[in-house]
Amino acid sequence: MAALTTKNIGGFLARQGIIVAFVLFMIGFALANDRFITMDNIFGVIRSSAILGVMALGVTFVVIGGNLDLSVGSMMSFSTIVVLDLHDKLGPALGIPAMYGMTLALGAFIGFLVGYLKLNSLIVTLGMLSAIHGLTLTYSGGKNMDIADKEGTWFGIFGQGSILGVPVPILIFALLAVVLSMVLAKTPFGRKVYAVGGNGMAATFSGVPRARVVFMTYLISAFCVATAGLIQASRSLGSQNTVGQGMELEVLAAVILGGASLLGGSGTVFKTVIGVLILGFIQNGLLLVGLEFYVQYVVTWVIIILAVWLDIAAKRGRLLSPIA
Amino acid sequence: MKHSITATLFASTALLGTAAVAQEMTIGITQNNVGVDSYQTTYEKAFIAAAEANPDVETVVLDAGGDVARQIAQMEDLIQQQVDAIIIWPTNGEAVIPAVRKAHQADIPVIVTNSNIAEQGFDFVASFSGPDNITQGRRSAEIMCDKFKDMGIEDEAKVVHITGQPGYTTAIERAKGFNDRLPEVCPNVEQIDQQPGDWNREKSQQVMEAFLVKYDDIDGVYSGDDNMGVGALNAAKAAGREGIIFVGATNFAVGYEAMAAGDYWGSIYQSPVDDAEAALQTAIDVLNGEEVPFLNYFDTPKITQDNMDQFDKPVF
Repeated sequence: MAALTTKNIGGFLARQGIIVAFVLFMIGFALANDRFITMDNIFGVIRSSAILGVMALGVTFVVIGGNLDLSVGSMMSFSTIVVLDLHDKLGPALGIPAMYGMTLALGAFIGFLVGYLKLNSLIVTLGMLSAIHGLTLTYSGGKNMDIADKEGTWFGIFGQGSILGVPVPILIFALLAVVLSMVLAKTPFGRKVYAVGGNGMAATFSGVPRARVVFMTYLISAFCVATAGLIQASRSLGSQNTVGQGMELEVLAAVILGGASLLGGSGTVFKTVIGVLILGFIQNGLLLVGLEFYVQYVVTWVIIILAVWLDIAAKRGRLLSPIA
Repeated sequence: MKHSITATLFASTALLGTAAVAQEMTIGITQNNVGVDSYQTTYEKAFIAAAEANPDVETVVLDAGGDVARQIAQMEDLIQQQVDAIIIWPTNGEAVIPAVRKAHQADIPVIVTNSNIAEQGFDFVASFSGPDNITQGRRSAEIMCDKFKDMGIEDEAKVVHITGQPGYTTAIERAKGFNDRLPEVCPNVEQIDQQPGDWNREKSQQVMEAFLVKYDDIDGVYSGDDNMGVGALNAAKAAGREGIIFVGATNFAVGYEAMAAGDYWGSIYQSPVDDAEAALQTAIDVLNGEEVPFLNYFDTPKITQDNMDQFDKPVF
């Protein structure tokens, strides 16, 4: 009986090591500062993380499909600047769909290059990172973009509103996470994404349209980026051109922290959400603890490595795993 | 006329007569990060406009995109091109010193603009043209202290401080000026926290959110520029915390508007157009052999809700 229980706990740990790590950090921070576990703070952190989180949901598809997307940071700046500009030129009702159209077009272009031309996704999206940044600067002329009439618009709802006490960005994040989780886990398309990323050759011989699946993963990623840009723009009703700069690495860190393999073929939406929350709560926790900020950079890294190690150790069932 | 002859002489000496001297002087500039904010964008436009208005000046305008390595490479390119003078807006006050020394050794005068390089590089610099960031930080402290005195809370007020990018000279100097001056003018005001907002509005908003959770009592917020200040203001508004005194530096259009709306108390008025024109003029004066002070500051006055009608709304 006792052996069975130990085995059950061991099995759970092996599957959910990252969640155990998450809970441990939360307890640690809660002990260090009593403000950490308050509804205000928790909602605040998840709301700030929602932008990163929404982007990470899309990148999860790309990574499981065996590719990378380093362009999401620049693309988010692009969406944010475009929607703020169109808000004043076309009005929000037309400006939002127009921004989605333009962002999806960028995603389709990347998807075409990686999926149909079979170009290396690292090179394509690294190039697009600076190309889209240039596009954004050209579009805006380098100027900060601000909505002229900040009081008289309903556009703030996506970033600042709340429904039944829950901030709207959290609702959008949660809704997208649930929908995309179903798509990935329960639909034939979802299985094809795993197949293409796990073993592309085998997928092709099984009749999976590889190019189209890869193309679709970049469209999903672009859709998520557009949504993140919408939240970002709505949150501050104004933005600088570099608002998403550097976020591509944080997004990738969240996805990998959640356990998706860089080689493709594994990962889940739910674990990506955990990865996003870990990053969000680390940042917030260190601020509340009040560490000197030079130290924060180092401690953030230490915690990420610790989380990955706990995850791996739980899977292997032992703490040390020397090579060979 | 005398000036242009000197300049021609100087240019011919520097070029050793290798290039046909169509223009009187060629001035290269490597900027920090155009497009990262409207200040730098406006600066570049004003610089190009001022150079075009002057028939004696030809310019090579470069941008390092915030990347130290790229800026060093650009310095080397400008030395190779044998420009007459180089203006540099340092991406990093320490790391660019070797490149500045190289230009100095090639007999090309270097003018540092906007934010100075670290002191050990001063020997290689002809002149620094820009705002006095320490004075700006001191003036922000005075603005905040004066307001606290008006409100009668100068003996119990608590202040949080959001700085610019860590390691960036402007950020360090403004923070130093503020941190030194505040206890001199308002000895009983307590600064309870200081964290970087990286010149980024969204980041400052997150930092301020954490401050609001951590501290029940915040009376004043000092931010290293208005862009970050408005981020902090957004956080306070969202949390429903009223009556906080916001003071910034580098008055942005958003900060000016927030002041007009009564949400934001004061800032330091710094015009990128003045900044760019001062840099170009300093370079021209150096090339003309005129006496130029090593620290060639242009004035950046205080602006608050009380006197803002004397200032135009910033274009950035």
